[in-house]
Amino acid sequence: MIKDITLGQFFPGNTVVHKLDPRMKIILTIAYIVSIFLAKNMWSFIAVVASALLLVIVSKISFKTILKSMKPLIFVLAFTTFFNLFWTTGDVLLISFWKINIYLEGVVFSVMMILRITSLLVGTTVLLTYTTSPIMLTDALERLLSPLRLIKLPVHEFSMMMTIALRFIPTLVEETDKIMSAQKARGADFESGSLMRRAKALIPILIPLFISAFRRADDLATAMECRCYRGGDGRTRMTKLKLALRDFGAIILMAAFITGIVFLNLTPCPISM
Amino acid sequence: MIAVEIKNVSYVYSPDTPFRKVALDDISLKINAGKITGLMGHTGSGKSTLVQLFNGLVRPTEGQVLVGGEDIWEDPKKISRFRFKVGLVFQYPEYQLFEETVRRDIAFGPANMGLSDEEIKRRVLESARFCGISEEMLEKSPFDLSGGQKRRVAIAGIMAMEPEVLVLDEPAAGLDPQGREEILGGIRDYQRKKGNTVIIVSHSMEDMARYSDEIVVMNKAKIFMHGTTAEVFDRAEELSDVGLSVPQITELCNKLRERGLDVPHGIYTVADAKAAIMRLLGGKHD
Repeated sequence: MIKDITLGQFFPGNTVVHKLDPRMKIILTIAYIVSIFLAKNMWSFIAVVASALLLVIVSKISFKTILKSMKPLIFVLAFTTFFNLFWTTGDVLLISFWKINIYLEGVVFSVMMILRITSLLVGTTVLLTYTTSPIMLTDALERLLSPLRLIKLPVHEFSMMMTIALRFIPTLVEETDKIMSAQKARGADFESGSLMRRAKALIPILIPLFISAFRRADDLATAMECRCYRGGDGRTRMTKLKLALRDFGAIILMAAFITGIVFLNLTPCPISM
Repeated sequence: MIAVEIKNVSYVYSPDTPFRKVALDDISLKINAGKITGLMGHTGSGKSTLVQLFNGLVRPTEGQVLVGGEDIWEDPKKISRFRFKVGLVFQYPEYQLFEETVRRDIAFGPANMGLSDEEIKRRVLESARFCGISEEMLEKSPFDLSGGQKRRVAIAGIMAMEPEVLVLDEPAAGLDPQGREEILGGIRDYQRKKGNTVIIVSHSMEDMARYSDEIVVMNKAKIFMHGTTAEVFDRAEELSDVGLSVPQITELCNKLRERGLDVPHGIYTVADAKAAIMRLLGGKHD
């Protein structure tokens, strides 16, 4: 039940995608998102979908996992399709009854939008969340944002907060489970009754959970202070991120991909948007 | 009479995944009614899982759980009935307090049972007394109390449900000797007065020796021993094989016996040991 939360899930592995420098992965992800939005006609869309599939295969993430992660997207997809299908106007009228007109352009547009959103999600999750540990990710983010320190933004503190937040998700999930069991043992009922009753039934879980979260935060702060933590100034690192040959290879590949998309956009194609 | 019976129960965590773990492996167990039964075992031996089977928080993968002769999973919709019959106090129960006053927190369980206000009031006062909670403390916020006091409030919250079987998972963990004494002593008084069944999970051999009538020892997802306190502590070598020990005083008696002194078996309290040693010395014990 509650343990099935997949937020920020990471699947450890040993593939090229896993081994890429996390800073590079963030940059590549941004580049990939841009390239997806550049795609304009059928050829470039085929390239985008193929690249997303290729990423999944190379990273050795099972297709089952990917499909599962798509589930929450169904609503968004249905929503955009609905609007694109019925509100896009064009030259070729396909179906027309009562006040509803469906144009060929609408169909094309919806299909491309679906492809765009799914490739976007698959690409970014595979490149980032599924193959990069949360710690690496925040570490990379801190490095990439470090120039912002010049304008006095607390970049280190921000990334430390993120690391801590991610670190405590499983702990708090476990804690919620425990408190729920304990209150169930006292006869609490979370599953029946009206909406109001159910909301009220959450109080015996939320209050102990909040209190324990504050207690943990307090303990953690003390423990960090005991180990002389005093923010990012002058802090050195145990593991330094270093760019390897494969990182440069990846960036060249991405550049080639974007150029390819632009080139494909220019080639004549029967279906485009 | 049998209060709780476990029949060929197995429990597997995360079946069909790489994280599969057998917590209970085909165990059968009968807990006698009207007794304090101690449950011992190494960390990870399956104690906590077993304890959650008793009131139906966990459904066995295989086998039956009978409370008062009834199969609790016969109608899964009515499982909450057994949550009131078997009261379970979790480890570190002080973290589940949430109400504004101690009185209201203790009343949470009985209120969920749908009892009348008068009955709830009676139960709150009675269980507070067993747990050493003063009238004045009842009006305080549970978050203003000390750790030991919070623990007692949480235990009183389960006692107030007046379950036929009271199960406590390490009720004295992390407390000083006086705190242990107060909590375990209170539980014993409650049991003696009400005559119901109590099951206590503990790591402390001394506490087990003092408070339990019978002991169940678990090891590697199986029941390793089950007998009266004297019977179990008489098997010191087997206990140490599974990483447990006997109370220090029993160990002393065993050592004396090894040296050829005629100390009887089955001694696990200081008072008994004193009597036996005084007898050996030929003196009168006062």
